[in-house]
Amino acid sequence: MDFLNAIVALANYVLIPAMSYGSQLALGALGVTLIYGILRFSNFAHGDTMAFGAMVTILVTWWMQSIGISLGPLPTALLALPFGILGCALLVLATDKMVYQFYREQKAKPVILVIVSMGVMFIMNGLVRFIIGPDDQNFSDGARFIISARDFKQMTGLDEGLAIKTSQGITVITAIVVVALLFWFLSRTRTGKSMRAYSDNEDLALLSGINPERVVMYTWFIVAALATVAGVLYGLDKSFKPFTYFQLLLPIFASAIVGGLGSPLGAIAGGFIIAFSEVTITYAWKKILIYLMPESLEPSGLVQLLSTDYKFAVSFVILLIVLLFRPTGIFRGKAL
Amino acid sequence: MSSDPYGDRGNTDRSIANPHGAGTLRPSPGTGQAMDTASAFLIGDCMTGGYGKGPDILHDCTIAVDKGEIAVIVGPNGAGKSTAMKAVFGMLDVRQGSVRLDGEEITGLSPQDRVVKGMGFVPQTNNIFTSMTVEENLEMGAFIRTDDFSDTMSQIYDLFPILKEKRSQAAGELSGGQRQQVAVGRALMTRPKVLMLDEPTAGVSPIVMDELFDRIIEVARTGIPILMVEQNARQALEIADKGYVLVQGANAYSGTGKDLLADPDVRKSFLGG
Repeated sequence: MDFLNAIVALANYVLIPAMSYGSQLALGALGVTLIYGILRFSNFAHGDTMAFGAMVTILVTWWMQSIGISLGPLPTALLALPFGILGCALLVLATDKMVYQFYREQKAKPVILVIVSMGVMFIMNGLVRFIIGPDDQNFSDGARFIISARDFKQMTGLDEGLAIKTSQGITVITAIVVVALLFWFLSRTRTGKSMRAYSDNEDLALLSGINPERVVMYTWFIVAALATVAGVLYGLDKSFKPFTYFQLLLPIFASAIVGGLGSPLGAIAGGFIIAFSEVTITYAWKKILIYLMPESLEPSGLVQLLSTDYKFAVSFVILLIVLLFRPTGIFRGKAL
Repeated sequence: MSSDPYGDRGNTDRSIANPHGAGTLRPSPGTGQAMDTASAFLIGDCMTGGYGKGPDILHDCTIAVDKGEIAVIVGPNGAGKSTAMKAVFGMLDVRQGSVRLDGEEITGLSPQDRVVKGMGFVPQTNNIFTSMTVEENLEMGAFIRTDDFSDTMSQIYDLFPILKEKRSQAAGELSGGQRQQVAVGRALMTRPKVLMLDEPTAGVSPIVMDELFDRIIEVARTGIPILMVEQNARQALEIADKGYVLVQGANAYSGTGKDLLADPDVRKSFLGG
């Protein structure tokens, strides 16, 4: 019984939150890795792209809520998501036209584009805070839980409750659907293959009649979609605050690099590795250990390896270890 | 004027020499080599140019290939062989001269527009998509085609049977010779009107080289004119209908492959006697 309680507690406090956080990171890292593979630079504005997409979704959600449109138990934000994606896509495509395209025409080296993306990051960051304000915004509605802790206790008779938030369930399911769609697109469709070809060998893609500007446009659109989905899911699961999205940049980059920059599969693996490490290291294990250990050995402290304030340190350390021992990442990235 | 052995040596004495009305025109001796360029299917005519703002690499260089022919560009290292090919394909700043395909002026077109016009180009290096399968490589070759290209693909598999065997393998995992076959196959997928190969046998073993030459002859037999740059001058000239020897970016010798092989000057300077 104690053992079951321990497993339920583990699932409740570690596995399920890490799972949904990992999905969000994976979606974010997929966007970063796509840009890296096709436009060949690390896009520092990605966190703020996510914030912008989420912001548009939130504004549309509020509008829908005000005129009484809802999805019943599901959050209305899902209905507003396509609008968010569209808004975000318009922004990144406009940014590309106004900023990045110029540097592509000059055949600027990727490192220049990295710095350029930092400028874009500051602008987007300001834009989002200008429009929606720097504060926390709440936009989730519908049912809060798929299973609440109390229902679970009644169902199983265990001491520990297992709560699955609607946002967590939606996050994982949406992530699976989006990733499946992305992989199908990249490996089966003509456009997807042309994107991989462009990523592999730009000159030869040009000689094969693949239009680079078209490929870049598709890439930005897909990245906008991924960023918006990731941003909205993160906002539903935690809360929406522009500055947290800016901070998300670190775990997202860590995920993409750990998995291998340019490898979509790696981005997903990296997302989960970072999320699980972050949650396990910052979780206080006392509760689970009490169930598992004999009474004489029970820990007196919290058994928390690192305070949650330091969760970004986890991404940093993993990033350092990977860069020291396997700089290409787990999946040996570089080309899509 | 003093250097002119047949000049007037400063004489202005009109009583002994009458300059009035003397002729100044000289008939041209011609080049001494027949070059039928008006009807050439693909021709880079009198091209002068270099990369970017750099110095000229080509000097009045003319390269042409006719229907049903194999034309080969040979020459010493640094003679501008690949550069001449690139100039024909629009990857060099050509400052003078013109490039014509089937009589149509294409000097101003970008490389990708030339592909659409029917030119197939196989670069010397990085000529395949290494992370994609052989079949995907061929599909990408046919990217500009909107019609059904499965016929062309099966023709290419007939031409290069090894590719059919390895169709779902990543092209980067193949051997050097097989990669070159993928590269040529990719370029053939557009059903080009002319095929340009930049050193197709660079870096492959002599046995594979012979096989590649056989395949190239087979491609030429299907009626596609081939313009090719080659390091292995002797073998290339043996299969060539037309050969161009370039030296320092200019035409040094040109003629049929056999003529060039028989020419004592060419033999002495480029073929090792």
